[in-house]
Amino acid sequence: MAMIQEVAKTRHASRETRKGDGKAAAVFLAPWFIGLGLITAFPLLASLYLSFTDYSLLEPPNWVGIENYQRMFEDARWIQSLGVTFRYVFFSVPLQLAMALMLAMALDKGLRGLAFYRSIYYLPSLLGGSVAIALLWRQVFGADGLVNQFLAYFGIQGYGWVSHPDYALGTLMILNVWTFGAPMVIFLAGLRQVPTMYYEAASIDGASKVRQFFSITIPLLSPIIFFNLVLQLIGAFQAFTQAFVVSGGTGGPIDSTLFYTLYLYQQGFKSFDMGYASAMAWFLLLIVACLTAVNFFASKYWVFYDD
Amino acid sequence: MRATTTRRGRSRAAFIAFTAAGALALGACSGDSGVPGEAGETEASEEGGDGDVSIRFSWWGSDDRHQTTQEIIDLFEEKNPGITVVPDFTDWGGYWDKLATTVAGGDTPDVITHEERFIADYANRGVLADLESLDIDTSEIPETVLDGGRVDGALYGLATGVNAYAMVADPEVFADAGVDVPDDTTWTWEEFVEVSGQISEAAGDGVWGTQDLGFNEAGLSILARQKGQALFNEDGTLGVDAETVSQFFQIGLDLQENGGSPDGSRTTEIQAAGPEGSLLGTNSGAMGVWWSNQLGALSSASGHDLELLRIPGETEFDRTGMYFKPAMFYSVSATTEHPEESALFVDFLLNDPEAAALQLTDRGLPSNLSVRESILGDLEAADAKVAEFMAALDEEIVDAPPVPPNGAGDVQDIITRINSEVLFGSMTPDEAAEAFLSEVEAATS
Amino acid sequence: MTDTPVRPDAHTETTTTTAQRIRPERTLSEVAAEVPDVRRKRRVGPRTRRLIKHLLLIGFGLIMLYPLLWMLSSSFKPNEIIFREPGLIPSEIDLTNYTAGWNALLHPFSHYLMNSAIVVMGSVLGNLISCSMAAYAFARLKFRGRPLWFAIMLMTIMLPIHVIIVPQYILFSQLEWINTFLPLIVPKLLATDAFFIFLMVQFFRGLPKELDEAARLDGCGHGRIFLRIMLPLSLPALATTAIFTFIWTWNDFFSQLIFLTRPDMYTVPIALRTFLDATSNSSWGPLFAMSIVSLIPIFFVFLFGQKYLVKGIATTGIK
Repeated sequence: MAMIQEVAKTRHASRETRKGDGKAAAVFLAPWFIGLGLITAFPLLASLYLSFTDYSLLEPPNWVGIENYQRMFEDARWIQSLGVTFRYVFFSVPLQLAMALMLAMALDKGLRGLAFYRSIYYLPSLLGGSVAIALLWRQVFGADGLVNQFLAYFGIQGYGWVSHPDYALGTLMILNVWTFGAPMVIFLAGLRQVPTMYYEAASIDGASKVRQFFSITIPLLSPIIFFNLVLQLIGAFQAFTQAFVVSGGTGGPIDSTLFYTLYLYQQGFKSFDMGYASAMAWFLLLIVACLTAVNFFASKYWVFYDD
Repeated sequence: MRATTTRRGRSRAAFIAFTAAGALALGACSGDSGVPGEAGETEASEEGGDGDVSIRFSWWGSDDRHQTTQEIIDLFEEKNPGITVVPDFTDWGGYWDKLATTVAGGDTPDVITHEERFIADYANRGVLADLESLDIDTSEIPETVLDGGRVDGALYGLATGVNAYAMVADPEVFADAGVDVPDDTTWTWEEFVEVSGQISEAAGDGVWGTQDLGFNEAGLSILARQKGQALFNEDGTLGVDAETVSQFFQIGLDLQENGGSPDGSRTTEIQAAGPEGSLLGTNSGAMGVWWSNQLGALSSASGHDLELLRIPGETEFDRTGMYFKPAMFYSVSATTEHPEESALFVDFLLNDPEAAALQLTDRGLPSNLSVRESILGDLEAADAKVAEFMAALDEEIVDAPPVPPNGAGDVQDIITRINSEVLFGSMTPDEAAEAFLSEVEAATS
Repeated sequence: MTDTPVRPDAHTETTTTTAQRIRPERTLSEVAAEVPDVRRKRRVGPRTRRLIKHLLLIGFGLIMLYPLLWMLSSSFKPNEIIFREPGLIPSEIDLTNYTAGWNALLHPFSHYLMNSAIVVMGSVLGNLISCSMAAYAFARLKFRGRPLWFAIMLMTIMLPIHVIIVPQYILFSQLEWINTFLPLIVPKLLATDAFFIFLMVQFFRGLPKELDEAARLDGCGHGRIFLRIMLPLSLPALATTAIFTFIWTWNDFFSQLIFLTRPDMYTVPIALRTFLDATSNSSWGPLFAMSIVSLIPIFFVFLFGQKYLVKGIATTGIK
């Protein structure tokens, strides 16, 4: 947010335009404001209220104060889920972004059939949340899966990776990296905003590809990298579907893939403790909001806008 | 019970009204005038114009069940003009999320398919009607089966049919390994572990004696009953001691040690794969414990002629432990606007021979004995085998375990997690027993 | 592809033999650093290099697609043998999964495809219009409390859906929107998908400000700047929004499950789940077959839409 204030301070328009902006902003934001008031705000605030209650879904809620929030810190499984989620975010987000950027650049231009390749590489992401994925992932990382067949050539006897407590989370990270299609597409779109003349000038100056990448592509792509970073982070903290599908909803084996949101879901819908689940959700919001704020603050130093 | 139900019903309505008022107030702040009118249409067409009644029936399952259930609904509507039954089906996982949400929103389905592990949660919170106050003929259902749907004396669910938790065996795998199928009327848990080890050894790579049985609390429940205990007592407290629980987990560990079942990670993987991906389903195992109604799915997956055996230990301790489990329940919403029509429909589902002829054993071997009798001739080979097996068990089974308490839906997750701890060597059976008891206690209190 | 070697120590590398290069005591990064230089020495032609790139892309693509190919192959196997014979090549091509799957649920599968299409179209349209408008305000207009509103907007996507869905259900139920497509479409028309607002804000901010300042001097209002300058120049962002909304809505399971209660309103993701039953037999074959069928529209949407992704200003030559 700091960044926006900064921008607002430095760029001072005349008084007339500012007045005009206010009115125009009201028009442009009208749908969003209506949506916020009518559809978004109520469920949000309701869940905040419910986080202070013992809401079971099946009976009306009773106020219990901050009991739910206190309970979290004594809940070993909650702490486990927090650990799993942090590990997941820490590894899979950078890996996925790197993969997406790499392939976006490889698929950007200069080759025949790129449209086809792009679509092929996007295909896994289309499937990412499907129920079939549990089975497909077992075909790759299961006891008799592709990976172990490959290892068998070298005489290595692999585990059933998806269902081993030490490796299951790793396979989910790979699953996340595998579905890099979304950030890749955004990078692809972003790369086209980088004017080609910069590269031409740089080539004439004799800058290497690597130099060009770091001194042209990265800075000019930085708003998009920033976007992907912020959104993938928010998304990864809420990762649910893949762990849910692959572990059959348990977060197993032995809670090794018990993502925060998965645990929250179990509490809310399986143990009928929606009050506790809501408290967990708001605590997560606090964490993610803080990290996003840090992200925005840090972006002042590496994200370049043209305005 | 009556009084509390209505009080709860009213306060739930009050909560919804309150939250909705909040929502509309928020909407008003942003200056939006109101609500589009088109939404009402579906509601109106659902109810029909001239006194027609529409009730919603919710169930879970896969495509086969959806088709047959729709046929049954069509039959009912034909026989009862003026009543429309609106189907509401989903898969097992989505079903419970949706049911809880619709109850929270005050849109409880009129007729609800329920399950043993969750029925107490709903019944104790006033969501379900006492079926004995409705006009449903239960005279053909044995009392022990009826009792399976009672919570605190009131009848909240009528068993659609019954299943038994049993050992499924593949005689071909036994024969290939050169091991005789043991006599299930006398075999002990120790024999079961031994036989499994022998098969694994004789059959070679990729074939095992048995699939691990530690992921389902039904096995523990049977062992406890064999020793004169119970997983849950009538009052919902734990009725099993640490020694028995430890013994249960030890069976899994013994099977790991003698090779009778695959290693921890493969076991966990197979566990998640359902009947189709099980050891039996893929012809890579000789035994596995399943609910009797799964014999059909297992048989068609394996392509072999599978057999049902009794759970080991039935003659080893104080008494027999096997029991008939209500496959599912039919329940009626406590807040339904059409209790008579709902009752009529449940009555039809349970007692109508034509409906039964369509349904066969899809919702378990019918709990209505005369209906069960009437369909025996129409059953496919595997299902006929189940019926025969259940008939043989009938004399041995002593009683039915009571409906498990609130929070029993968590027990499966707990036992799955703790059994994995044992299989991966991070807990001894004794530690596991202690952890299991304290976690279940916490979840169900 | 016209990079020039700039490493000052390049000449020393010419003497290193292959044997030396893979000496174990050398670090991996050292070896890796040399590879491009060695390749350059051999003067690989652009054609060979393109071929190598194609081969790499195809090879890597095959690994990426393995699970998908397995699903495709399994969709041609009878349900019983999918697990017994899990190999990639089906022993025979059997289409019964497709015919059975198409008719297995109460309505033909086309019915669910059509429902999904309605929800998807409404969502795409809604997101395109409402999110781009909001994004223009956040990116280009100055108004009081902008940082705060922006923060609130981001906050709305930080809560997991599982705790919002029940209040949402109550809200929509009071509006009598349950079992209509309204709860799935109307929110999109009201810019509740903050993801896309933020996305377009980032793209708008990447556009040169001189453009709209010049237009402003020519007397253009915000409406015209938005319609005539920002939107045409943000085709990649709009395409991204459209494609993502399409795919995410097409695959969205949870909210469609909760808000659509009658089978005649079911969409593809809900229909697909009803092939499975954890408690008895599942129809994996039909599930795979119908999954493939439902992938086809999104694949073509992407194939068609991706060309707009790369129609940025760089290709249109402004700036």
